[in-house]
Amino acid sequence: MTALATVDSKVRTTRNKQIALAVLFLALLIMPLGTQVADQTWVTNSRLFQFTQMFMLIALASNWNLTGGFIGYVDFGHAVFFGLGAYATGVMMTNQHSIQWPFWPAVIVGAIVAAIFAVMIGFPTLRLKGPYFSIAMLGTFVAMREIVRVSKPVTGGGVGLTLPPYLNRALFYYLTLGLAAAIITFAWWIRRSEFGSSLIAIREDEVGAEMRGINTTLHKITIFVMAGFLTGIVGGIWAYQNTFIDPDIVFVDSRTIDLVMMTMLGGLGTVAGPVVGAAAIYWLRDVVWAAFFDWHLMIQGSLLIAIVLFVPSGLVGLFRRDGSGTSLQRLWGRWLAKQGDEPIEADMGNDAPTDQGTQP
Amino acid sequence: MDQFLQALINGVMLGAFYAAMMLGFSVIWGVMGVINLAHGEFIMLGAYTTWVLNKDFGWEPFYAIVLVFPLLFIVGYIVQRVLINRVVDQPILVSLLVTFGLSIMIANAVKLAYSADPRLTDTRFGGVWNVGNVTIPVTKTIILGLALVIMASLWAFLNGTRTGKAIRAAAQNKQAARIVGIDINKIYALTFGICIAITGVAGTMISPTLAVHPFMGAPLTLRAFAITALAGLGSIPGALMGGMLLGIVESMIGIYVDRIGTNLAIVAAFVLLVVVLVTRPQGLFGGLRPIEQAEQL
Amino acid sequence: MTTDTAPLLEGRGVTKRFGGLVAVNSIDFLVYPGEIVGLIGPNGSGKTTLLDCLSRVQPIDEGRVFFNGTEITKLKPHKVAHLGMSRTFQVIRVYRKLTVLENMLVSRQWRGESLLSQLRPSHRDNETRARQLIDFLTLDHLIDSPAGNLSGGQRRLLELGMAMMPAPELILLDEAASGVNPTLVETIKDRIRALNTDEGVSFLVVEHDMRFVSDMCNRVYVLNFGEKLAEGTPAEVIENEAVIEAYFGA
Repeated sequence: MTALATVDSKVRTTRNKQIALAVLFLALLIMPLGTQVADQTWVTNSRLFQFTQMFMLIALASNWNLTGGFIGYVDFGHAVFFGLGAYATGVMMTNQHSIQWPFWPAVIVGAIVAAIFAVMIGFPTLRLKGPYFSIAMLGTFVAMREIVRVSKPVTGGGVGLTLPPYLNRALFYYLTLGLAAAIITFAWWIRRSEFGSSLIAIREDEVGAEMRGINTTLHKITIFVMAGFLTGIVGGIWAYQNTFIDPDIVFVDSRTIDLVMMTMLGGLGTVAGPVVGAAAIYWLRDVVWAAFFDWHLMIQGSLLIAIVLFVPSGLVGLFRRDGSGTSLQRLWGRWLAKQGDEPIEADMGNDAPTDQGTQP
Repeated sequence: MDQFLQALINGVMLGAFYAAMMLGFSVIWGVMGVINLAHGEFIMLGAYTTWVLNKDFGWEPFYAIVLVFPLLFIVGYIVQRVLINRVVDQPILVSLLVTFGLSIMIANAVKLAYSADPRLTDTRFGGVWNVGNVTIPVTKTIILGLALVIMASLWAFLNGTRTGKAIRAAAQNKQAARIVGIDINKIYALTFGICIAITGVAGTMISPTLAVHPFMGAPLTLRAFAITALAGLGSIPGALMGGMLLGIVESMIGIYVDRIGTNLAIVAAFVLLVVVLVTRPQGLFGGLRPIEQAEQL
Repeated sequence: MTTDTAPLLEGRGVTKRFGGLVAVNSIDFLVYPGEIVGLIGPNGSGKTTLLDCLSRVQPIDEGRVFFNGTEITKLKPHKVAHLGMSRTFQVIRVYRKLTVLENMLVSRQWRGESLLSQLRPSHRDNETRARQLIDFLTLDHLIDSPAGNLSGGQRRLLELGMAMMPAPELILLDEAASGVNPTLVETIKDRIRALNTDEGVSFLVVEHDMRFVSDMCNRVYVLNFGEKLAEGTPAEVIENEAVIEAYFGA
């Protein structure tokens, strides 16, 4: 195979991928029109609702990946920004002391509140390494739940807030679809940029990156705040759609677990990973486990364990190609080898030579 | 003044409990490099076991320790061999995620079995002592005593017995310990088993006073983390100091901040955690080994 | 390279303590533009610690450091890199999961751009320079290999390349020959000489390999127990009794 042919086929597959994505997006765009079509039962308002929830999960997972995947700071409490966005939006819209704001400005306020908090909490926590950062953020999440609960005059406390109802499934559908698409595009763009490669450098070796001229603090805070802001928007939208919020349903533990799990299932650090993971988890949960409702969190827990132990590079990693074929093919090859059947492999996995001295 | 004294006494008793409660977490981290986010769930398991023994068999909760200790030891041993052993050599994030998943599984399994209704056990050691204007509940005094016994026993075990010393050696340097002939796998399983056993006993101890429900674990795990950061990995004196500090702070907030004090207690734990991590990540005491700078993902 | 020209790097009384241990004790030194200066001493003499202080990985307890006249004593490491000083590491730090080319691209020169301007994909100039350097360092056949797949010597070359990407005036080299097979060591030495002669890059080299030092360095400082034991040309320093005793004596 000549070099030219390889380039050609690469270009063709990218072109094919782009066409497939475009078709998918178009299909999603016109789907709501299906509710007007009689004689079909698949596209219903509740189906639109389902998809809306899924788009929100995709948006959230992609946001989480900005810190978890791009700079390698695994945030166990990221849902705190969701909660702040939800509550700030809710507070503005149910303002008991003066005028009530309409949705659009309220959700912007929500996002800004989340972003400001990201700045405040980012400076101390982003100085922490690995697991300490994770736990500090988990603690932030848990603490914020209680802070919201006790701030009754502002947040309505444990009783909760009821937002003005607005039932328009199609609107929320398009809103979340647009948001998810925008965030995915944003992530993809960042990944390709110089800013993005600096982020990856920070993930791979933060001290080395700092030594080589990357202002790690500035980079980390920036991406952290961006992720917080965007997550706040999702929170605001969710609050409006849900109409009712209280500390326990907003700051529910599973929400913050979900983010970690979806992205890890899909593939940490990739752009497609969170999307694939979120969609997979959502459908698994909604469709397959609807039958086993009581068990679904248990299954989620065991799924997390399984993913971490057996599929650490995620679903995307399984299908990713590099010199010696996809990971699946390599795994298969290794299994065959163990059975005594030696396949010809140019590169038996990237087992880099054990190098004691590369990372301290 | 009386209020202050009351808060102080409460804090000391609470603190001693916290210290005993988090020892298992701290030692596992120190010896195996595993952060056990399912820590609170093992406390919960001990508490539920006690409740079952109390309600269905009429046992006095504190006596249940006799059964809870070996039972949770076995549970811990099995969990380590089956699951935890796979992650000891991996980056610490992996242990975080795996134990996180485990915590979800355990909590929800218990919820399925016993529902989420909060429970309490009935102990015959009720009543209070009145010393001046301060009330000292008998139950909490027993908890204090048991906590001290646990700490002393663990200290004696780790420093006085051959197995204990092997455990400490493994914490310092796994390779060297192997060379000297120590069976690391067995040490790990033993350590984990003992730590989970102690943790379960903490659940027993607290079952008469703290509402037992499937999700009681998470706030306790957070506290364990905070105190470990303060105390140093596996340090028993550190645990006592750190536990006391947290206990007293929480108690003060609870008494002096009207109505919302108890909710803010968890915020106190979290603030303490962040402050310690940011200012002095190596903790106040040495412990089994320092938290390494390079303990990255 | 005369003493009339201003020094490129100057340290005055640099001191670093770790708890009770004084790792670096009040060291003065100079590096002039165009020089290759060696820093040698037995194990534990403080060489790498001094380098860490200079590149600001470690805070300096006492003393001051100047680079091109600017005081860098309290600057953050990335700022020092922006000023024109790069370094390599005793324990090799390359981004193992990134390819050789990606490693080079991400070590690019910083022209003081804002974050906003970095939202574009890599500049073509950056890539051209990266490829040139990769060729220069004889790593072109590995350009798309993950850095983790390279041998020790190849990684040292890559590190050198990454240090060169921002077109620095001074490179701190920490044991550039350690763990490298002899033929590659010659290549490394050769590349360093070329950079020094052709591009005017100055070097401060921490080394154990005495032959490396004799071949490469204009001047040498010898450290022992954190203190400056001797300085001079390699020839002078090798003859120095105190130095001999430090290496072989009690």
